[in-house]
Amino acid sequence: MERLITNYYETVSIILFGIGFMTLLIHNNLIKKIIGMNIMDTSIFLFFTAKGYISGKKAPIIKGVYKGVNGYINPVPTALMLTGIVVAVSVTAFALALTIKIYEKYGTIELDEILKKGGD
Amino acid sequence: MAVATNFPLLILLILLVSSFMMPIIKRVWAVKWLSLFSILLCLVLSVLTLEQVAQAGTFVYKVGHFEAPWGNEIKIGYLESIMSIMFTSIAALIIWASFYSVDHEIKEKNIGLYYTLCGVLLASLLGIVYSNDIFNCYVFIEISSIAASGIVVVKDKKENIKAALKYLILSCLGSGLVLMGIAFLYSITGNLNIDYIHQELVKVNGLYHNTFIITLGLFTVGLGVKSAMFPLHIWLPDAHTYAPSSSSAMLSALVLKAYIILYIKIIYRLFGIGLVSSLPVLNVVMVLGAVGMLAGSIMAILQKDLKRMIAYSSVAQIGYIFFGIGLGNVLGLIAAIFHIISHALTKSALFLVAGNIIHETHSREISSFKGIGIEMPITMGIYTACSLSMVGIPLFIGFNSKWNFALAIIDSNKILFIAVLVASSVLNAVYYLPIIVNGFFGEENVKDKVFSSKEKPVSVLLPELILAFSILYFGISSKGIIALITKSVSGL
Repeated sequence: MERLITNYYETVSIILFGIGFMTLLIHNNLIKKIIGMNIMDTSIFLFFTAKGYISGKKAPIIKGVYKGVNGYINPVPTALMLTGIVVAVSVTAFALALTIKIYEKYGTIELDEILKKGGD
Repeated sequence: MAVATNFPLLILLILLVSSFMMPIIKRVWAVKWLSLFSILLCLVLSVLTLEQVAQAGTFVYKVGHFEAPWGNEIKIGYLESIMSIMFTSIAALIIWASFYSVDHEIKEKNIGLYYTLCGVLLASLLGIVYSNDIFNCYVFIEISSIAASGIVVVKDKKENIKAALKYLILSCLGSGLVLMGIAFLYSITGNLNIDYIHQELVKVNGLYHNTFIITLGLFTVGLGVKSAMFPLHIWLPDAHTYAPSSSSAMLSALVLKAYIILYIKIIYRLFGIGLVSSLPVLNVVMVLGAVGMLAGSIMAILQKDLKRMIAYSSVAQIGYIFFGIGLGNVLGLIAAIFHIISHALTKSALFLVAGNIIHETHSREISSFKGIGIEMPITMGIYTACSLSMVGIPLFIGFNSKWNFALAIIDSNKILFIAVLVASSVLNAVYYLPIIVNGFFGEENVKDKVFSSKEKPVSVLLPELILAFSILYFGISSKGIIALITKSVSGL
């Protein structure tokens, strides 16, 4: 329990991951599925950036004085997650566009009704 | 030829640049030829890369000349260069075949975009194969999942949109799990370069036993969803059935394979087989593969739709590949890589032929294909060759891969699985052969059928014929390719 509280970033991100994962799998509504997908991605971003954060250190932007390597946090995970965010946004946009198309063709975004109308 | 070390990056650039030129080209024929020409150029460069690897061994290309732990690396050994040749050659044949089928499957204004997506997809798959940086692989995985959903949805029918959304959501789930695995690895090792991660993992081996299991499990499930490992295959039948036939061929022959190559790289290069064999994950992969071999075939028998049947057959064949990886010995890996090549050749030909059959008969139902062998002799001849290869008849490439699987099973002392292999082959025969038998034989089946009445001209069938001949050729002389794969496995 104590370990969970000390590593609260990781704990929270795993809980968020679970919430997102289950939302993605269980919900019938496509929009909710996409929201679940986003929650899952966000939890990974939190987990990753928490890995780069060192308590008490500054963001690695040098203004005036250079404080040495130990003065700053690790910028690599942050940079990676910027890429990750871009990827997640584009996937979300594509998924939402497909959902609009689904609504146009089937008249619903509930997955079980779509499957009934789809024939097989 | 030291200049050949630049070729892998050049291949990616050629594909990406040429595919982003396509949307601004108005003429459809120009787009088609640009696409084919760029892929053929990549094929030539891939062959030269293999030549370079054969002369000077595995090489590392530093993108942007930054040294390894900071910069991105491309690492090319035998495995990468063989796969690069396979991907580009089969993609070229599929694109060539799509010249004749794409007009009646896709609206004309979408054809330019379709070839753009194909180019981007191929580039991202080759990126997954080449890259030695695990985060780079993740980015390429995401590009490929968007592009692959794109080539499913391009037909713009309502089933396609449903299938593409299902595929997109599940592959996002898969890549999310892969990213979580990368996060775990980064937190243990502080590196993203596969070789450096391996060094660090060896150092901390024993400290993080559970974390290793979780990480490898995340990679297995994540890449398993994307490459349709048996219980995670639910997106595959829809996506393969409703996509245009050239897209189905590309999805089945190439897209699934790139993730398996990445999985092989993760097991053998990132973790190292010594570390992985101390974890239970490979046994699970082996059992899932074996179950997939049987279950995929059984589900294929139950299908009435030709393309859906072939799609379920893909599930079974992916089961073979994962089974080979799961055996965990060298022969198993060789068999798995050989089966990647043999399945890519056979399944791309099968999907293209299925597209032709469906176009000519205007029916997807297997029961309506009676006497079709008389009406379309060459097409059904190709279908017969592919089916016999799938079943594993000698002289065809499928026999060689099954033979290799049998050797690998004997080598690993798990003789029981020979029964699974044989049973799966018999089940393959149960669903592939009836179409051939009803197509060529039977009094009432061939009555009133005019010989070659629905056949397409040979020039249209040339890509499929080349695939069928290569199935035969590699079936008869697989020694050279096996030798190459053996070298690639020892270089991992």
